[in-house]
Amino acid sequence: MNIVVCVRQVPEVADAELEIDKEGTEILKEDLVMDINEWDNYAVEEAVRIKEAHGGKVTVVTLGDEDCEDVLRTALAMGAEEAILINEEGFELSDAAGIAQGLYRAIRDLPFDLLLTGAQCSDDGWAQVGLILAEYLGLPYASLVVGIEISEGKMIVQRELESNTVEKVEIPIPAALTIQTGINNPRYVSIMGIQKVRKTEIKETNSGELGLSEEEIGLKGSSVASQKLSLPPVGEGAEILTGSLSEICEKTTQIIRDKGVI
Amino acid sequence: MIPSRTSYWLIQHVWVFYLLAAVAVGVFLFGVIIHVSVWIKGIRRQTIPFSWRGISNLFLDGLLGRRIFRGDIAAGTMHILIMWGFLGLFVGTVLISVDYWLYHFLSGFFYIWYSTCLEILGLMLMIGLVWSLIRRYIQRVPRLERRIEDLTVVIWLFAVVLSGFVVEGLRLANQSPEWAKWSFAGHWLSFLFTQPQGALSIYPYLWWVHALLSLGLIAYIPFCKLFHMLGAPASIYLENQPLQAILAESRAQDKEVFSYRDMIFFDACTSCGRCVEVCPSSGAGEPFSPRDFIVWARDNLLMKYHPLNHFNWFENWITRRHTKEQVFEPQKIWHCTTCKACLDVCPVYVATPDAIQQARSKLVEEGTHMPPLLTQSLKNLYKYNNPWEATKKKRAQWSRDLEIPDISQSKEAEGLCYFVGCTTSMDIRAQELARSFARILKYGRVPFGTLGKREPCCGDIARRVGEDGLFEKQMEDCIELFRRYGIRDVVTSSPHCFHTFRNEYPAFQALKPPEEQVEFRVRHYTQLLRELVAAGSLKLGKPLNIKVTYHDPCYLGRHNQIYDVPREVIAAIPGVQMVEMAHNRADSLCCGGGGDRIWQEDLDADVKMSEIRIREAEDTGAEILITACPLCLIMLEDARKTTGLEDSLRVMDLNELVAMVMGLDGGGEQE
Ligand code: SF4
Ligand code: SF4
Repeated sequence: MNIVVCVRQVPEVADAELEIDKEGTEILKEDLVMDINEWDNYAVEEAVRIKEAHGGKVTVVTLGDEDCEDVLRTALAMGAEEAILINEEGFELSDAAGIAQGLYRAIRDLPFDLLLTGAQCSDDGWAQVGLILAEYLGLPYASLVVGIEISEGKMIVQRELESNTVEKVEIPIPAALTIQTGINNPRYVSIMGIQKVRKTEIKETNSGELGLSEEEIGLKGSSVASQKLSLPPVGEGAEILTGSLSEICEKTTQIIRDKGVI
Repeated sequence: MIPSRTSYWLIQHVWVFYLLAAVAVGVFLFGVIIHVSVWIKGIRRQTIPFSWRGISNLFLDGLLGRRIFRGDIAAGTMHILIMWGFLGLFVGTVLISVDYWLYHFLSGFFYIWYSTCLEILGLMLMIGLVWSLIRRYIQRVPRLERRIEDLTVVIWLFAVVLSGFVVEGLRLANQSPEWAKWSFAGHWLSFLFTQPQGALSIYPYLWWVHALLSLGLIAYIPFCKLFHMLGAPASIYLENQPLQAILAESRAQDKEVFSYRDMIFFDACTSCGRCVEVCPSSGAGEPFSPRDFIVWARDNLLMKYHPLNHFNWFENWITRRHTKEQVFEPQKIWHCTTCKACLDVCPVYVATPDAIQQARSKLVEEGTHMPPLLTQSLKNLYKYNNPWEATKKKRAQWSRDLEIPDISQSKEAEGLCYFVGCTTSMDIRAQELARSFARILKYGRVPFGTLGKREPCCGDIARRVGEDGLFEKQMEDCIELFRRYGIRDVVTSSPHCFHTFRNEYPAFQALKPPEEQVEFRVRHYTQLLRELVAAGSLKLGKPLNIKVTYHDPCYLGRHNQIYDVPREVIAAIPGVQMVEMAHNRADSLCCGGGGDRIWQEDLDADVKMSEIRIREAEDTGAEILITACPLCLIMLEDARKTTGLEDSLRVMDLNELVAMVMGLDGGGEQE
């Protein structure tokens, strides 16, 4: 079972104070810590587990600049065999279809049985790339996957729906799946683990080699364009309670009551 | 007639005996070879130089059983009886061979003296053995296990001595030499044999039974816990020899995680269970015990490196046997808080926390058997240089209004570097420690600065869980900063940073060329406080009239032997009455936060370790529980809330107490 996993490097924003550039189109990334997109991390782990159980090899693909090598090294250290870097900054302002197109060109000639992507990316949050990619490749697909059972020529996958519902669907192989967090427990990658794959070759390509012209990528090639980014305004009504613990608790209950919650 | 020894009286085919003896010794040697062939697979982390301290420990801990007596006089006495009895009889038997083969000297007065000694030794051994059975099966001392081996070893030894006495009694009944009464035990037994003639006919059979039991025992030694008679001296000797650091790079190439020293320690372990008794994790009802870990590690090593593994059938057999018996899963090693209580009580110095750290490095390398939250914390540690996922900017926020010089901003960094540490910098509760300490330093006019937002993690967090690659990276970052700003004097908030700087860095520094090594002095803040108190620089005026108790942080106490320093500071505060908890100083109980447990999810337990500890504090009737470590502070503060002791007990860092007495507590920040 050969598996291709698409991964992406994203800035970590959970605890960061975000700043937007003057034009209001981009988030300033200099001070941000970069890491593999959380959903993709689960996808890589799932791919490696399937490989460990059924044999085959795992190839990871990413689209970005040279710095994105780090996410590929992480995936290699987790157990992927091959890595492809589409080294092309031109995709910076691409929409989901544009990114999918770039990935499609890099993947289409690879022999594989299963294509995994994260269900979404934490930066743009389109949650579309995996599915558009599947369309381009003409593969059957399932989204928000939280469980995979593989049998002869097909698999049963579990999809996470609203309010704790899980849907089981049967899907033939080859297919594309977008992976939801929580499907597994991604393994830890140690510093030495990364060291060990330091010398593994990473195949590099770019839009030219993939047959994409400048017109077809980035903002020009997109049908969706970002107009303006803004930070949510600081809201009103926040109140910091003071006093001893019991006083604070009392005040809190009072507020909840006043608002008519209970 | 001159008293002398009769050998092989009435025994025919003595050559059979020699043949069997040769076989027994052969099996014994083969058993020893099995152990040694495991040991040589271990990593070499130390040389074995000659050391007087090692020799004196061998005498004190080995022959006198110093550590066995400690805390358990009954066990010590029982063990001395057995050990001296056994050793004495062994020497006695060697003397017989010398007498028979080389030089005849067992005669006359000396022979009488010799026989009496042997009688006494035999009786000592028997008393010791019976006592051990009583302890294990009648008193049922809780730390002792009752495995088949525990019984066979004792019964077998007993049978050897008893059969020896019976054979002697029979011989004396028949020969009745005039010196018989000196072999008093055998002499008494001889009265049982009222029909010397009948007794005579069974004598040869009994002699052979005794011979077979004795030879069998020799062959059995390396395959049972009796092997500790060789393993323990080795581990006692190795215990205090300096260890070399292993770089993560070479560790990654090594197939084995344990050093040969660890392996010898495992072989020295007798499963006495003292470690289980003091292990806070076992005590909290978690499914972990240091003894189980050792047995598991030892079995696995044997399974992996047994010399007979060349034969497939053997390898299959031993693998099947061990997998069937194994109850310990490797993931359980995440339970250990590296509190070192087990090592402190172990009679043979088995360094469990150290071995666990080595074993963890393997799991970290594989990455698949780690607690999810720990994985997260380590990733944060790598990305943010602290486990709290806080950006650099936040690191210095605790000191916003305190105007503390930033060493990295000033030109000449004379004076002291206060190394605040990740947890003290980021955790809101622990920040109070730093704020109080900074105020005290300022009051005492101690010139100091911090590394501000440049301060890295010292590497302790990575080190404790065996993520050595990350540890080395952080150590290099630290060393580089210390070099760049000429830092030569460091004081830490956390006993963990203190320990890492003081006891972990030097071995790694030693691997570098001299010009690259950085030397600096490191103190824990309690030491500095005591100096300030002694110099009269602090105004500890306001008498408090309050009862306090003190929790020894593992990494200050057991790991660094600092017990008195914080107590002296407390004692210097007027009006403070200090009471000790049931467990204090060397047998202090861990708060449950060490060994990176604070950055893991709660593991299965009957009760939290921190809650056990806070209950002990409650029992003293103290109003304030003082500690000297940010992790203890957080864990105990938390336990105070979960046990509903919020109104009766306060948890404070020593700095907070001192600052409070000095009127420096900033007023009203405490809820
Ligand atoms: S490690 Fe030490 S204390 Fe623990 S069972 Fe073994 S010998 Fe006893
Ligand atoms: S170091 Fe502490 S927690 Fe770890 S095994 Fe020893 S006693 Fe138990």
